[in-house]
Amino acid sequence: MKVFSNWQWFHRLGSPRWFYQTTGRWLPWLSVATLLVLIIGLVWGLAYAPADAKQGNSFRIIYIHVPASFLALAGYYIMAIAGAVGLIWRMKLSFMVMKAAAPIGAVLTFIALFTGAVWGKPTWGTYWVWDARITSMLILLFLYAGVMALQYAYHSVDAASKAGAILALVGTVNIPIIYKSVDWWYTLHQPATIKLTSAPSMHPDMFQPLLVMILGFYLFYALVLILNTRSEILRRERKTGWVRELAQSKSGFDARAGD
Amino acid sequence: MYFNNLEQLMLMGGHGPYVWSAFAVTIAALVWLVLAPIINHRALLKDVARDLQREQARQASTRSQPDISEESI
Repeated sequence: MKVFSNWQWFHRLGSPRWFYQTTGRWLPWLSVATLLVLIIGLVWGLAYAPADAKQGNSFRIIYIHVPASFLALAGYYIMAIAGAVGLIWRMKLSFMVMKAAAPIGAVLTFIALFTGAVWGKPTWGTYWVWDARITSMLILLFLYAGVMALQYAYHSVDAASKAGAILALVGTVNIPIIYKSVDWWYTLHQPATIKLTSAPSMHPDMFQPLLVMILGFYLFYALVLILNTRSEILRRERKTGWVRELAQSKSGFDARAGD
Repeated sequence: MYFNNLEQLMLMGGHGPYVWSAFAVTIAALVWLVLAPIINHRALLKDVARDLQREQARQASTRSQPDISEESI
């Protein structure tokens, strides 16, 4: 067995080509697993879970609202950490992951806000309130949009990456505010359903499909983050030999035919 | 199933429009998140392949010229 020197794994991890080829082998499995788990969770949550005693069937929105909110927040950590790694170790792949994470986070935050609004109407009697939880989630959406916008605001890829990473890192102050907003302020939003420190405030028949949906959203996030990063790798490395060879083999024409 | 029939599943005791619109928008957004990078990836590969083809055509034409000049010398 080949013994890797201490830092070799780190350099290999930083190689866009290595990332592209390795994740290419994972994609079929990850896609099938994601689709299966999401379909099971959706059918279970929509058709088989019992209705809530107080909220009736509108509570079923929880099966997309909570997983989307979870991943909107977890995705922000991923984006900020990727940005930090890029700044500290000047790792280009890390900046690509950061750029790839921004639109996914933005869409998930939008889903959290939209499903929350639609859920709010039958439950609170209003689509929107400017309460602490909802407002801090809206700020999260703007932070994601800001990181996305910065990627196109500079001519230099390097400057755009650094500016995006700094905004992402500064924006992390918003994350604990979102988590704690339901405890710190009097809000219309209900307190957390799932806590690490105590049992869930939900019947197991309702809770189990929620866990399946959360797992499905995690898988989905991983899948789309990989897909976005692979596109970004191709875009930035299009002049390199391996991307040319790949394009050639995929398009079916032989570049060396003339030689 | 929790509901007695398909109609009740659609109606959801009056909450149907809220629940189904929330799920429909979410699913559409998720599908878009998956499709966008796949379309982008394909377009990029095609683009690189086309650039390569053009480059070869150019190389082939410039390579034939020095050959002729050599012969003429």
